[in-house]
Amino acid sequence: MMAANENESLLLGETVRLFASRELVKNRETNDAYPFAPFWDEIVEKACGLGFFNTLLPEELGGMGREITPLCQLIKTLSETDASLAGIIFTNSLAQELLFVAGGEPALRDAFHERASARQALIACPSFINPGEIELAAEARRGGEAYRLYGKQDYLVLGNVASRALIPAVIAGQPGYSYFLVELSGAGVAASAPIFSLGLHACPAVDLRLDGIEGRLVGLEGKGQEYFTQSADRLMAALAALAAGIMAGSLREALEYARQRFQGGTEIINWPEVRMILANMAVEVKIAEMAVTQACQEADAGRSDWPLGCRAAAIHAAELAVRATTDGIQVLGGVGYMKDFGQEKRYRDAQQVQALLGLAPLKKMDFIASMIAKG
Amino acid sequence: MVSRQELHSLLAGEPVFEDLFCSLQVGPKFPTGAVRETREVVALARKFNAEVVRPRALDLDRKMHEEPDYLPWDFVEKANEWGFYSMWLPRLFGCRGVNMVSLSPFLEELSTSCLAMANLIGVHYLGVGTLSATWNLRLMNEIFREVARGEKTGRPCLISLAITEPSAGTDVEEVELVDRGKVTCVAKRVAGGLTINGSKVFISNGHLSTWHMVIAYTDLKRPSESTVVAAVKTGAKGFSFGRHEKKMGQRACPASELFFDDCFVPDAYVCIDQEREVGSSLRPKKKLAMQMIDYVVSTSRAGVCAFGSGAARGAYQEALQFAAETKIAGRPLINHEWAQCVLAEMYKNAALGRLAFAEANYANTLYGLFRLLLWKPFYYCMKYMPRFVIDRVVSPFLNLRLATRLARKFNFDWQKEDEYQRTSGWASLAKFVGSDAGVRNCQLAMELMGAAGLRQDHRVEKHLRDTKLLQIYEGTNQLNRLNLFKCLIARQFPQAEVFEAGEKEGK
Repeated sequence: MMAANENESLLLGETVRLFASRELVKNRETNDAYPFAPFWDEIVEKACGLGFFNTLLPEELGGMGREITPLCQLIKTLSETDASLAGIIFTNSLAQELLFVAGGEPALRDAFHERASARQALIACPSFINPGEIELAAEARRGGEAYRLYGKQDYLVLGNVASRALIPAVIAGQPGYSYFLVELSGAGVAASAPIFSLGLHACPAVDLRLDGIEGRLVGLEGKGQEYFTQSADRLMAALAALAAGIMAGSLREALEYARQRFQGGTEIINWPEVRMILANMAVEVKIAEMAVTQACQEADAGRSDWPLGCRAAAIHAAELAVRATTDGIQVLGGVGYMKDFGQEKRYRDAQQVQALLGLAPLKKMDFIASMIAKG
Repeated sequence: MVSRQELHSLLAGEPVFEDLFCSLQVGPKFPTGAVRETREVVALARKFNAEVVRPRALDLDRKMHEEPDYLPWDFVEKANEWGFYSMWLPRLFGCRGVNMVSLSPFLEELSTSCLAMANLIGVHYLGVGTLSATWNLRLMNEIFREVARGEKTGRPCLISLAITEPSAGTDVEEVELVDRGKVTCVAKRVAGGLTINGSKVFISNGHLSTWHMVIAYTDLKRPSESTVVAAVKTGAKGFSFGRHEKKMGQRACPASELFFDDCFVPDAYVCIDQEREVGSSLRPKKKLAMQMIDYVVSTSRAGVCAFGSGAARGAYQEALQFAAETKIAGRPLINHEWAQCVLAEMYKNAALGRLAFAEANYANTLYGLFRLLLWKPFYYCMKYMPRFVIDRVVSPFLNLRLATRLARKFNFDWQKEDEYQRTSGWASLAKFVGSDAGVRNCQLAMELMGAAGLRQDHRVEKHLRDTKLLQIYEGTNQLNRLNLFKCLIARQFPQAEVFEAGEKEGK
């Protein structure tokens, strides 16, 4: 649908669909019960084995090149069934992108472990936060050649799963912030219990307390916001894909249910008000899919203003997903609110996804500021 | 300027004046004592909120995720201890007799902290409303007095409404749909009573309730004309509980499956048998069934609006607190102009929800379930009548068949069609205004708070999970929009058909 190379796209699409139907459908409720049930290591490991975490890496590192389209296709297809794995891939991809933007291929190569287990391969990062928007609570102090990190990093996604993390921290006495790569098993770091969050339960986060853990500077000092903005520009397309996938899944389940459920002597799909809800959802899904496709094409072709396309797609698709998944429950009525069906999870996940890469209203303010700046 | 005749005809035009300003019309009729009572109720709710609800809300929600079958008896016992299960039941029946208009502000207050706990109290009054809508004074006198005794003995006596069936949700709330629906809960007349067979689902407070107002039908081919409301007590032979539903939110308020397997209900506990007991009513049976439903939903949907307004306010308060304490892009969030507008929008949503449930309750005061209770002479008579007079003189009278017949004459036959349509229309409006306000405010709060809002310990995400159910139960918001159309709009157009489109589309 979206990839420039159609054969590659079809192959990827088929692989992901098969994986989703075999691995994600049957245990959706159990997997989502985390942190009140075990983490789904086995499935995450399989996803790792299929190379789902390396999509953004160069081909020589087992990736699919640097194009954003395959990542978006992967994320969208997975999210139709269960967005938590897509959340893990999104967070890891953001970390990879930050490494690449800050340090180029050498940095990526340095962080890449061939034949690593999923937990070794994953890199945690605070993917729900735009560090430039908030007051950072992590501080880096230089001691000789190394930096030591103090303070805390709230809502570090994959912080209890990954072996390493990218932490934004302020270097004492300097403006801006910098990114540091830390080994999470090292001394001087303590993670909270997994955060009980709204959605994406199986893409967990923790609060991290930093007490002198060694951090490796990524890129240059004080350039963190620049790296984040560049990375976020591309990942915005993936955010839109996540939202579009959740919506598409919600529409599919709503349609299936509406064909089967009777009220007032007929299948509810025959009730015009239900059709109107489904029509609104279908239009929203179509618009989101088109926005993702267009954003990917512009980004991969390197067209001028492609970042604006990606950001607009993300902002709009995320809003549409919140609305569509709210309606997705409504079509199912009471059972849509229950965990026996996928709609309630999609409702929570959609709202959660809207918070990726920073506050939703500030994404809009940044968007218009960029347009105004360009004249 | 305007003659008396003109005045009448101008105000009778659509929208009818009586539809517009229930609050204005109720003003002079409303007992001052009830205003004072409402102030006290809100203050009491805030105290209970601060001491019980807010400190427990997150832990209980978490516990329900860890142990989905846990039943929150500790909270129910606490609410019982505070007197909340009999507080709004009339003194006529040995209870506290606080005016029912004040129940909605009470529920709003509790919902600012926890919708599940607000439901653990509020849903009891759905069962109360159902029994009340049958106007069976003898059974009301027996069961409501048991609720009051339960508060004295420390053994909570809750009442649930068991209406929804596995294959009939929306259908059972509208007589135009129920005859075409797939209801299966059947009541068969036998010597000395009825036997009930079938099952019910999504019954709020099911596992926690002592009494269940069970809706069944003596003729499944024409349920709208053969409705039975039966009072079934937990422990009755042939009655059992199934599982708790695994809900996204409102986890602490169990939604139960109820099974009836040749469950015998003696005649004395049949609240109403539409075919037998009100066969002499002035109205066709189908209309009478709708009138009964409207008595219930006109109050319960106002309550859902109060839940929604409370959740909307709760989300607003959490977001406001966050905005006041958090710096975004170098400045306090509360000083960003766009954030101020979002907060103002949230304030508005909660306020409009409150106005909607107030208006719906004033319609109930003028035309519906609260009419007699808030009629000044009756209100003050009940308020100040010594308890022993009620117990020794009034109570025996209530147990007479004559009392129930008079109550039904007054409340069924003498209530005009436009009156119950007005209460029902306003309740539907309130239901979808309040529940939509709740969901919208939670979404706005989540946007404003970003990653912080995602955490359960910041409370907004719980509000978001909890509040979605409000758009579904007590009739989906779609059903309520259609009911508003039916009650307050369609009457202008004889050609208007409501609840017919699906059937035609299906064919």
